[in-house]
Amino acid sequence: MTKPRLGIFSLTGCAGDQLQILNMEDELLNLVARFHIVDFQEGSSHKESGPIDIAFVEGSVSTETDLRHLKEIRERSSVLIAFGNCATDGCVQAMRNGETTLAQRLKDVYGVEPDYYDALESKPIREYVKVDFSIPGCPVEKDEVVKAITSLLHGDSPLGYSYPVCVECKLHEYPCVIVEDNKPCLGPVVRAGCEARCPGLGLDCIGCRGPVEDGSNFAAELQMLLDKGYTEEFIMNRLRIFSGELPEDFLGGAK
Amino acid sequence: MTKTIKIEELTRVEGHGGIEVTLDGDKVKDVKFNVFEGPRFFESLIKTVHYEKIPDITRRICAICTASHSLASIGAIENAFKVKPTPQTNTLRDLLIHGETIESHALHVYMLALPDFLGFPDAFSMASEHLDAVKMALNLKKAGNQIHNTLSGREVHGMNERVGGFSKVPSQQELLDIRTSMEEVMPVAELAVKLLADVVPPKHNVSENLLLALDSGERFGYMGDHILTSAGERVHETEYEKLTNEQVIKHSYAKFSNYKGKTFMVGALPRLHLNGDKLEGKAYELYKQHKELIDRNNTISNNFCQAIELVHDVERCIMDVDELLSNGLDDEDLVEFDVYESRGINAIEAPRGILYHDYSFDDQGRITKANIITPTAQNAANIEKDVRVIAGNLSGSSDETIKHAIEVMARAYDPCISCSVHLTRLK
Repeated sequence: MTKPRLGIFSLTGCAGDQLQILNMEDELLNLVARFHIVDFQEGSSHKESGPIDIAFVEGSVSTETDLRHLKEIRERSSVLIAFGNCATDGCVQAMRNGETTLAQRLKDVYGVEPDYYDALESKPIREYVKVDFSIPGCPVEKDEVVKAITSLLHGDSPLGYSYPVCVECKLHEYPCVIVEDNKPCLGPVVRAGCEARCPGLGLDCIGCRGPVEDGSNFAAELQMLLDKGYTEEFIMNRLRIFSGELPEDFLGGAK
Repeated sequence: MTKTIKIEELTRVEGHGGIEVTLDGDKVKDVKFNVFEGPRFFESLIKTVHYEKIPDITRRICAICTASHSLASIGAIENAFKVKPTPQTNTLRDLLIHGETIESHALHVYMLALPDFLGFPDAFSMASEHLDAVKMALNLKKAGNQIHNTLSGREVHGMNERVGGFSKVPSQQELLDIRTSMEEVMPVAELAVKLLADVVPPKHNVSENLLLALDSGERFGYMGDHILTSAGERVHETEYEKLTNEQVIKHSYAKFSNYKGKTFMVGALPRLHLNGDKLEGKAYELYKQHKELIDRNNTISNNFCQAIELVHDVERCIMDVDELLSNGLDDEDLVEFDVYESRGINAIEAPRGILYHDYSFDDQGRITKANIITPTAQNAANIEKDVRVIAGNLSGSSDETIKHAIEVMARAYDPCISCSVHLTRLK
């Protein structure tokens, strides 16, 4: 059997999702042996042109260069996977989208006019190309990546998580940090798959896996935080960290 | 005749950057380290955010040195509000930063740099001839990540280290497991020194370097509040702007630094040059034995210095665990404190060199102004200087030879380009 041609690409971000692949110390050599790797900038100097069976793309589109690169990858690839929160939702660099302008940020940080650089407002990749699957997380969870790759090698679609972090938190029988400590936990509205790491350490979930698809808890979460005395600015800043480009109703009532 | 030699994109480095050099005959006309990693504007994004979640955002500047960013960020907040962490917290933080350096240096030395010297495009193909070494290297990296997992909550972008302490103090058994792993990987750290000691670094990039590192105090390490320079100065961290002098450069989203008009280097080479005599144990012996390989004017010796640091890191982690266990672990709460209008600055030695976080807060503890300066941003101008030297010395050679020499040199800095792109002041 010929090995599937795999490309691992990154746009603007911290490169933490590629790093999670390098962090699979026990599986890495076996994993690499299953594929013909055509591009892995952080791990190898070897590059090939031509078609790609599976492309993992991390990072958000933040420059014209990113956009050109993304479009080239899409044209070459049969299956394109948005890999990590930057690619799926825009992540922290998109947290002020719709609130401050790109021109303001360029002025703030670099003291230059908008035409000085080729920067674009940071966006998740689905804004520009068709995405076949998404693996969320900041960073992606290694177990989920191994499962997704296994599914793909068998010609199946990877499975996502349709329930919120609260479900995993309850299964672990962690004390609820909202009820016990009045912490502004986002567990009720954020996608599971992390085994509720933060509540397990006594911390409130900050939402690094993005919002759960079923939005039925959104309004109640917002009301609960307001009832606990958190200000609208505080709540908005918290919700925005990983959600610059999220569904309207996630930020909904706070606007 | 004028020609331009272009490395479109550096590989086996973190982030996106390329290098361009223009030659007129044997004269170097122009050099550019192009940083085209997109801008991320962290200093602007965090405005109005309450201090408590600042480290969770700013640590996402970088994946490889995520704990360095979180600890620099926590330190700046603690300096602003005069928070005094407990001795146990300080030792746990020391363990965390050393664990991070193991993970980062193991990745760089074995998987990114060594293939250059053994003639492979990557560690995966290197594994075909050196499978045991690659497997050992992965174990060393994993041992560093074990410290991230235990103390921080996961390998990348953890959450357990907080302002005022650790949300959950690790158990005695978890610390003993770290100790066991460290003993197991000690030979791998020593092997890195042995492998790189056999490599004769090229001389075509030798040129005068100014080196900067934190004064680590009595022992070698990655914390301290003064900066030492190889010109003999000692500057407090709160006066860092005198040292960094950042400028906006058209071809780069990273601002470039210079000190008194000179480019400078931060990283393992400066640390060993300025603090090496404070090393302990085997690391000190190896440092003494190979001192001639630590050439302040050859930045490629940074690879070898990272290998020496790997030995130091593994030994130090064992010492830190022993200290924590002999003092008895206390399941202590986070230190409580008041917030008020204030500014806090903190410097730390990230794996790639000095990292600064500088925040101003209003009386509610919300950010009003921020400045973050990363090691690669400080090194960018020095990398351009080295490119100029290499291109000048090799101007008669083929383009491929020049390109390869430049790539090997740039990689030796272990550049973290993602980190470099969002550094500077919110006006």
